[in-house]
Amino acid sequence: MENYSIVGKRIPHRDSVEKVKGSAVFTSDIKLNGMLYGKILRSTVPHAKIRSIDISKAAKLKGVKAIITSQDTPLVKYSISPTWADQMVLDDQKIRYIGDEIAAVAAVTKEIAEEALDLIEVDLTELPGIYDPLEAMKEGAPLVHDAVRNNISKRVTMECGSVEEGFAEADLILEDTFKTQAQSHSSIETHCCIATCSPTDDVTLWANSQSPHPLRQRLAGALNIDAAKIHIITPYIGGGFGSKIDLDPSQAISVILAKKTGKPVKIEHSRKEQYIATRMRHPTITELKFGVKRDGTIVAKQAKVVMDNGAYNSHGPAVLAYNNVMFSTLYRVANIKYEGCLVYTNKNWGGACRGYGDPQASFAQEVMLDMIAEKLNMDPIELRLKNANIPNEVTANAVQITSCGLKECLTEVKERSQWEEKKINPKKYRGLGVAAMIYTGGGSIGSGSNYSGATLQMNADGTLHLLMGAVDIGQGSNMILTQMAAEIMAVEPQSIRLTTADTDATFPCMGTFGSRVTFCAGNAVTQAANGLRQQLLENAAEMLEANIDDLELKQKKIFVKGSPHKSLSYAEIGAASFYRKKKPLVAHGYYNGPEEISPEFDPKNYRGYPAPSMAFAVQVAEVEVDPATGKAEILCLTAAHDLGRAINPLLAEGQIEGGAAQGIGWALMEDVQFENGKIVNPNFHDYKMLTIKDMPKISPILIESIDPNGPFGAKGLGEPAMVPTAPAIINAIYDAVGVRVKDLPATSEKIYKGLKEKELKTD
Amino acid sequence: MQSKHRIQITVNEEEHDLLVHPNRTLLDLIRYDLGLTGTKEGCDEGDCGACTVIVNGKVMTSCLVLAVEVDGAAITTIEGMHNGDELHPIQQAFVDSGAVQCGFCTPGMILTTKALLDDIPDPSEDEIKHYLEGNLCRCTGYTKILDAVNIAIKQMK
Repeated sequence: MENYSIVGKRIPHRDSVEKVKGSAVFTSDIKLNGMLYGKILRSTVPHAKIRSIDISKAAKLKGVKAIITSQDTPLVKYSISPTWADQMVLDDQKIRYIGDEIAAVAAVTKEIAEEALDLIEVDLTELPGIYDPLEAMKEGAPLVHDAVRNNISKRVTMECGSVEEGFAEADLILEDTFKTQAQSHSSIETHCCIATCSPTDDVTLWANSQSPHPLRQRLAGALNIDAAKIHIITPYIGGGFGSKIDLDPSQAISVILAKKTGKPVKIEHSRKEQYIATRMRHPTITELKFGVKRDGTIVAKQAKVVMDNGAYNSHGPAVLAYNNVMFSTLYRVANIKYEGCLVYTNKNWGGACRGYGDPQASFAQEVMLDMIAEKLNMDPIELRLKNANIPNEVTANAVQITSCGLKECLTEVKERSQWEEKKINPKKYRGLGVAAMIYTGGGSIGSGSNYSGATLQMNADGTLHLLMGAVDIGQGSNMILTQMAAEIMAVEPQSIRLTTADTDATFPCMGTFGSRVTFCAGNAVTQAANGLRQQLLENAAEMLEANIDDLELKQKKIFVKGSPHKSLSYAEIGAASFYRKKKPLVAHGYYNGPEEISPEFDPKNYRGYPAPSMAFAVQVAEVEVDPATGKAEILCLTAAHDLGRAINPLLAEGQIEGGAAQGIGWALMEDVQFENGKIVNPNFHDYKMLTIKDMPKISPILIESIDPNGPFGAKGLGEPAMVPTAPAIINAIYDAVGVRVKDLPATSEKIYKGLKEKELKTD
Repeated sequence: MQSKHRIQITVNEEEHDLLVHPNRTLLDLIRYDLGLTGTKEGCDEGDCGACTVIVNGKVMTSCLVLAVEVDGAAITTIEGMHNGDELHPIQQAFVDSGAVQCGFCTPGMILTTKALLDDIPDPSEDEIKHYLEGNLCRCTGYTKILDAVNIAIKQMK
C-alpha cells in the first residue's frame, strides 16, 4: 500500500464553508437586471391531439412580454441520443402525458406569468390513454407515438451459451416474477435555468445541469442554433441523481423566450412540476428463471423484462440495455438469456435515475438467489461466494472485469454484520438479509464516448489553478479531484483554485452520471497534474543545475535531495517561467476510454459492454417487523463497497449513507402513484421519503481492490450505494417473518397482508 | 391592484423598513427583496424545511409565513449565524463532519439545529430527531448531520 499524504485522508469538502454560510450560489439565487420570469403551460390530460392554441387574451395581460408555442421552435425531435429522438421542445401535434409542455410565457413577475397561462386557450381532441405497459404492447392499444408499433420503443435480446442445456443440467429450477415501482429523484432543489441572448445572438445559460457540455450540443440541435454561440455555466447544484442530465424543455424554452424578449428569462420548476414533469425511475416487471446445481452453482439464468418508458425515451433505451448488462455480468454464469422491452405509456417518462436499471436488475436477481438458498438449505452468503466474479475474468457476456473485490465484500460484510451469530440465535420478528451488486465504476464508451478533460496551470505567483468540465452535484468531485492534483503537486488541496463546468472555460466532460467522474475525470486530472509536475521538475532542474532525478517536491518547494539549501519555491519557478522565459506552465489531461473494446461489443444489447472498470458491493440489512402493523424497521445496514481506493473516506461514507437512504426509501415507502396517468402524490407530504427519524445505523466498509486503470486505483461509488439495499431489506423481512414481498415498495400493508395470509395457511 | 403595506423587521440585527404586498411570503421577501439567498425554496408548501428561519426565537418555514405577519419581528437567517469568517460552532461542526453534500438543505438544517440547542442545550437523540424531522435531505442520509449536531452540542457546552 502506498503512503499518500492527501489521497486517502478524511478531509472536509472544500465547498462546505460556502454552503454552511449560505453564500454558495445556486441557479435560483441569481438575479439579473430586467430579468423576466417564464412559466410553462402544461397539459392536464394524458393523451390528446392539439387542434389550436389561442394566445390572444394572454398576450393582452399587462406585464406579459412574450408567449411562445411550437411555431416559435424548429420542430425538430431530440433525445439524449439522436438515434432515438422522439421529443420536441413544444410538440405541435400531440400531448402524450399530463405535464407535457404546450406553450410558455415570459412576464415581469411569476404571478403575472401564471395568470397568463390561465388565459391561453387550447383546443384539444382527447384520445384514449394507455397506462399499463402490458396492455400497451397488445394489438389495438392506443399508440403514444404514432409510428411506433405496439408502443415498443426498444427490444433488447441477448443469449450466451444455451439456457436450455443449462436448465437440463440443473438440480433445481425456480421461476418467479418481480415488480418495481417508479421512484422520483426528489432533489431538494428543483430544475432552474436563466437564459440571456445578446444582440449578437450569443446565448448564455445558467443551468443546474449534470452535463453542461453535452447540453450545449443538444440545445444547439433542438433550437437549430450554432453550439459555438451557446455558453453554459453551472452554478452549485442542489442534488441531481440523474434528473438533471437531459436537455429539459424548460432550458430550451428559456433560451427562446430570452431571444424573443431580449431580456434574461428565468424558469424554475415548482415542486409539483418537478414531480409531474421531470423524469423518474422506470418501473419494471421482471420474470426470472434460474437453474442451479445442488452445490449452489448457477448453471443457467433467464430474464424477461418489461420496462415502462412513459411518454418519451430520454435514457430509456440505454437503461434497458444496462438492466441487461447488470443482470448478466454479476456472477459467473455460462448460460444466460435476456429479453427486454421498453414500452411507451401516457405517463411521466422514465429517465436516468441513480443506478440506471441496475436497482431493478439487482432486486429481482438477489431476491431470487435468496429463494434458491432457502430451497438448497444453503447460507445465502455462501451461495453468492460460490458464484462470485473474480478479478480479470471475462464474463459469458464478454464483459472484461479488472479489479474485483466482490468476495472480500461478502466476507467482510458477513463478519461486520455478525451474520453467523445472529442467524444461530435469531430473535423473534428480526431477520438478516443480504444482497450483492455490480455496476460500472468508470462509465463506459458504449455510447461512443466517455470523455473528461482537465487543465492544470501554475500562475506566475506559484499558485495552481485546476479547470475541468466535471460537475460536483454534491457527491464531492470538487474535493477528491483536487486531492488527486494536490497529492501529485505536493500542495494543500484547498490552495488549488478551481473552475468547473463552464463550457467557455473548461475542457468538455461528458457529465456527472454513470458513477464515472472519480475514474474518468480523475484520470484526466492526474494526467494533467503529472504533466505539470514534469514541467516543474524540468524547469527546476535547469534553474538549480541539478539532475531531474535528484529533485523532490514538498510544501510548494522543489529541493535537491540531500541539499535542502538548494531549493526553489513554486513562486520562483512560476515567475521565472512567465517573466523570464517564454513558456507558461500548463498541462492538459484527457480521458476517453477504455482503449480496447471487445470485438463482441454489440451497441444494441450491450453484450461485451466496454466499461473500463466495474464496481462491486454487498449489503446486509437487519430488520425488525412489527407483527401488529406489518411495519418493517431497519435496525442496521452494513454496506461493503469495492471502490478501488477511497480517495476521501469521509466523502465515500457520505455516498454510502445517502445511497442507503434512497435505497431504503425505494424498498419501503417511495412510490410515484398514478391514477389514469395522473400523479396523485406530487409533493413531499404524500411522496414518502426518509426523514432523519427513519434513518437507521449504517455501517460502511470500504474495500480497496486498487483498480489498475483507476486514478490512484479508484473506481466509482455514487450509484452502487443504493443498488443492493432494497433486495437486502426484502430478504431480511423474509428472514424475520417469512413474508416475501416481490413487488416494491414493501409497505406495511403488504407485509401485514402477507402475515395474515401465512396465518390462514397454518390454521 | 393590492396596495402595499409598510412593515419594519430586523433581520440578522439589521433594521429594514419595507413596503410589501399582502401576499408576499417571508421567504420571497428574504430572498428577493433583501437579497439574502442563503434561505432556499425547496417546495413552497412547508414540507421540506429548506426555507427555515428563526423568528422571535421560534423556528418557522418562511414559505408559509406572510411578510405582513412578522411586522416588528427579529429574524435570523443563515447569513446571521457566522461573524465574518468566524463560523458558528454549528456551522463548523457541519463542515468537519462531512454533513454537507449538495448544501441545499444545509441552511435550514443549521437554523433548526440552532433553535434546538437554544431550547435544549443537551438534547437526547429522540429530541434531536424530533426537531430535525421537518428538514428533508436527499443527499446525506442524515447520518453525518446527526454527527454534526452531536459535535456542536459538545462544542457549545
